[in-house]
Amino acid sequence: MLGTLDRKLGRDLWAVRGQVLAIACVLAGGIATYVMSVSTLRSLERTQSRMYGEFRFPEVFAGLKQAPRSVAARLAATPGVEAVEARVVAPASITLAGYRQPIAGQVVGLPRGGGRFNRVHLHAGRIPEPGREREVLVSDGFVQAHRLQPGFGLEVTINGRRQQVVVVGVASSPEFTYQLAPGSIVPDFKSYCILWMHAEPLEAATDMTGAFNQVALSLGRGARVEDAAQAVDAVLKPYGGQGAYGRKDQISHRFLSEEFRQLRMMATLFPAIFLGVAGFLLHVVVGRLMATQRGQIATLKAFGYTTGALAWHFLKFTAVVVLAGTGLGVASGAWLGAGLARMYRDVYRFPYLDFGVDWEVGAMALAGSLAAGGLGTLWPVLRAAGESPAVAMQPATPGRYGRSWLELPWFSQPTRMIARNLVRRPVKSVLSMAGVAMSTAILIVGGFMSDGVDYMVFAQLRRAQLDDLTVTFFNPVAERGLYSLRSLPGVQAAEPVRTVAARFRFAQRSYRTVVQGLEPEGRLRRLLDTELRPVELPAEGIVLTDYLATMLGVRPGDRLTVELLEGSRAVREVAVAGVVREYIGVTGYMRREALNRLLREGDVATGAYLAVDEPALPGLYERLRGVPAVAGVAARAQAVRSFYETLAAQMLTMALFNTLLAATIAIGVVYNTVRIALSERGRELASLRVLGYTRGEVSYILLGELTLVVFVAIPVGLGMGYGLVWFLMHSLQTELFRIPLVIRPSTYALAALVILVATAGSALLVGRKINHLDLVEVLKARE
Amino acid sequence: MEAVFAARAVTKFYDMGEVRVHALRGVDLELYAGEMMVLLGPSGSGKSTLLNILGGLDRASGGSVLYRGFDITAASERELTQYRRRHVGFVFQFYNLIPSLTALENVAAVTEIAEAPMRPEEALEMVGLSDRMHHFPSQLSGGQQQRVAIARAIAKRPSVLLCDEPTGALDSETGIVVLEAIDKVNRELGAATAVITHNADIAGMADRVVHMSNGGVSRIDLNAQRRNPRELHW
Repeated sequence: MLGTLDRKLGRDLWAVRGQVLAIACVLAGGIATYVMSVSTLRSLERTQSRMYGEFRFPEVFAGLKQAPRSVAARLAATPGVEAVEARVVAPASITLAGYRQPIAGQVVGLPRGGGRFNRVHLHAGRIPEPGREREVLVSDGFVQAHRLQPGFGLEVTINGRRQQVVVVGVASSPEFTYQLAPGSIVPDFKSYCILWMHAEPLEAATDMTGAFNQVALSLGRGARVEDAAQAVDAVLKPYGGQGAYGRKDQISHRFLSEEFRQLRMMATLFPAIFLGVAGFLLHVVVGRLMATQRGQIATLKAFGYTTGALAWHFLKFTAVVVLAGTGLGVASGAWLGAGLARMYRDVYRFPYLDFGVDWEVGAMALAGSLAAGGLGTLWPVLRAAGESPAVAMQPATPGRYGRSWLELPWFSQPTRMIARNLVRRPVKSVLSMAGVAMSTAILIVGGFMSDGVDYMVFAQLRRAQLDDLTVTFFNPVAERGLYSLRSLPGVQAAEPVRTVAARFRFAQRSYRTVVQGLEPEGRLRRLLDTELRPVELPAEGIVLTDYLATMLGVRPGDRLTVELLEGSRAVREVAVAGVVREYIGVTGYMRREALNRLLREGDVATGAYLAVDEPALPGLYERLRGVPAVAGVAARAQAVRSFYETLAAQMLTMALFNTLLAATIAIGVVYNTVRIALSERGRELASLRVLGYTRGEVSYILLGELTLVVFVAIPVGLGMGYGLVWFLMHSLQTELFRIPLVIRPSTYALAALVILVATAGSALLVGRKINHLDLVEVLKARE
Repeated sequence: MEAVFAARAVTKFYDMGEVRVHALRGVDLELYAGEMMVLLGPSGSGKSTLLNILGGLDRASGGSVLYRGFDITAASERELTQYRRRHVGFVFQFYNLIPSLTALENVAAVTEIAEAPMRPEEALEMVGLSDRMHHFPSQLSGGQQQRVAIARAIAKRPSVLLCDEPTGALDSETGIVVLEAIDKVNRELGAATAVITHNADIAGMADRVVHMSNGGVSRIDLNAQRRNPRELHW
């Protein structure tokens, strides 16, 4: 049963429905972002933990050149190690009938008897039957990208040996949730895949019968990953061990952890901004409501309503807005979250992903909105409800004004009114500006995503890596072997590269990555400075990715300990000769000849960069597949294409989402600012209309204030946007990638334009109300 | 004498849901140049409605109102705004000053948009507020605020000055000061002045007293002698 006060509440809400709706939308924007990111985060974390258990994701990983199986048994006996599984993994190049681009792959041996670790999840088809050596499983991303069904054939070249296989099943595994081909920067499911095949044929193809080159371990209770890794390294050292590492350095795990960090940031930063703005808007609207109802409050108190009852009545106004906003936010957050989870599944190949919104997330969302609404409205409500009826029944005295610092002698009276009104309530004016500025800033963040990524791709793929094809070899090849590559039809140039796994140490810090030995005057792979100008590779010493130098705390001139994890396994002090700007990965660079000297190897290379005539490309792929030494071929053009195919749609979606959110704030703040101003000053404006001011002249007073707020807020917001981008860029940068701080002028322009359009729209809505000011009515009543 | 206003058979009704309320039921009335007219009647008699129609704030439902031959009942919204801007001065019961502007600036708000106005200082001097020019409304008493409103109304040198219960919110002593100001500007500027009141004691200051009741003019009295507001009391 609704009481009289509740009916009054309903009418009060209806009277300011536009503002109520705008505030609820701002609130909903924050709640939706929160629910979307937290629910996605929790779903991903839940899925991760479930699949790690179900598919037995190991705790320590190690690669090596080759070791007999008996060595695995020795590892199992190492203290702290619970279980060990050894297997063979090999790179492959793959041909799919009808697809002309090169496909690189990683072939993983299916352990005999189902396997202890890294079990596969079967999406379709079946597991290869024992004894059928030609049956394989393929990763689900590849099948999806090529729209295939199990039963198709592939030609796989492993170690230079071609063989035909039949795909009988589609699979995924926690170790390959993020599938990155060597040398590429994003997953490319069309030209990279994982194949699982029986161990025997794989061992035979790689000449590793009875041996292994990869090992996975789980640890006993209380055992430390670092200790185990050290013990594993000691055992594997004679077999070309490349350094054991824990989950945090496992690539799939690593990328997922990064995503979790980003989602956590999104779940706090954006909702905080939105809830803050909503709280402020509620403060303004409820404050205004209390002012207009001062007389009513006094009357109700005179009738015997208590302060508490009246305060509760007005707080219910806030509660309705908060509940509406939260409801809308949770519903749209759940919907958006499901979409975001789908987007994640396109990049991260989870065996399954159960997306759901937990009740705790809803409860937290409600608590957050209630807190924002309460903080915004509690004080004005208590103050007004607590006023003595006798005082409240007196007519309000005219607002106290003074001359303002903002005005000039030649100002017209309307302009003076604008200036004084702005200065009279500086906090409100500043908060209105802050709200509009915030939405401008959020728009910049939305645009920055694609600006930064575009620049990153431009720098990496159009300035640094200029090859058309990257060829990798199974084993180091003598430089003169490149002659055969150069002589292939269509190849214009071939530059050798030597890549070696290495650990860098400086003071207490260490980092495991690779050293690339490049040609001193190479044209296909260049190092760049901060202005993207090519940097000469010095004859001596090592050049580091700028982020790597920062991580290690080294500066040019320092001496870095380089521990090579292959070949000679030399540990040498090498001078840091310089740093180069790179946005993806972290690497050390040396002249190939100097690196080979360090390795005590001759003039060898592990790969080559090729410049190729475009028309000759398809034929060249075919020829390269026939070269036994070639483990894989990657095409740069295809990399760029697939990068945008994978990410463009997502970035566009996120940018649209951001724009929508920002526009919500902009409209919420702008509309409320004018609407409140109209309510507060309707009487003044009507008086001026009576005195003969035209609608345009009256609108100027109202909208002039708004225009001033917006015109100050936009440049401030552009600056804040830069700051926010800077903050995001710094807190999201990792050794995997660093989005460069690049904001195009068009992004700034678009942000300003969206705000201006939102302002114009709100102004039009309120302008219509100015036209309908009731002059007679307004003059009869006292304020 | 020249009639500034000539109202003929003016009617006004408001449709309030299913009920039609007749506020004016055929009013015929002239207002002559320079005269002081008091419209007297109980609340609901239609005097405010008539004043609003004369001032171009409201439209008649029927009949015609000629302002110096210009039919304001047929005027567009834009024409009415221009009409108010050029010719009409308003004074209201609740002053309706702009709180963010000083006394002087409130007057200037009108002189800025008027043709050939007096200086704002001059207008304030006429109502005896030269020493309060730079005060904000919140720093003025009710009577002072009303006198600022009068200064604001007359600064454009209007042909007509329309005052709706100008003393309604004031005590009698302050009210008399305000009426003196109205009387003074009527005499000095020669603006045809109509003052609405339900206070019969004020009628003495008029040339003509128009009694209204039930939406029509019930009687018109001519005062042989206009009394000085000083001599009034209630």
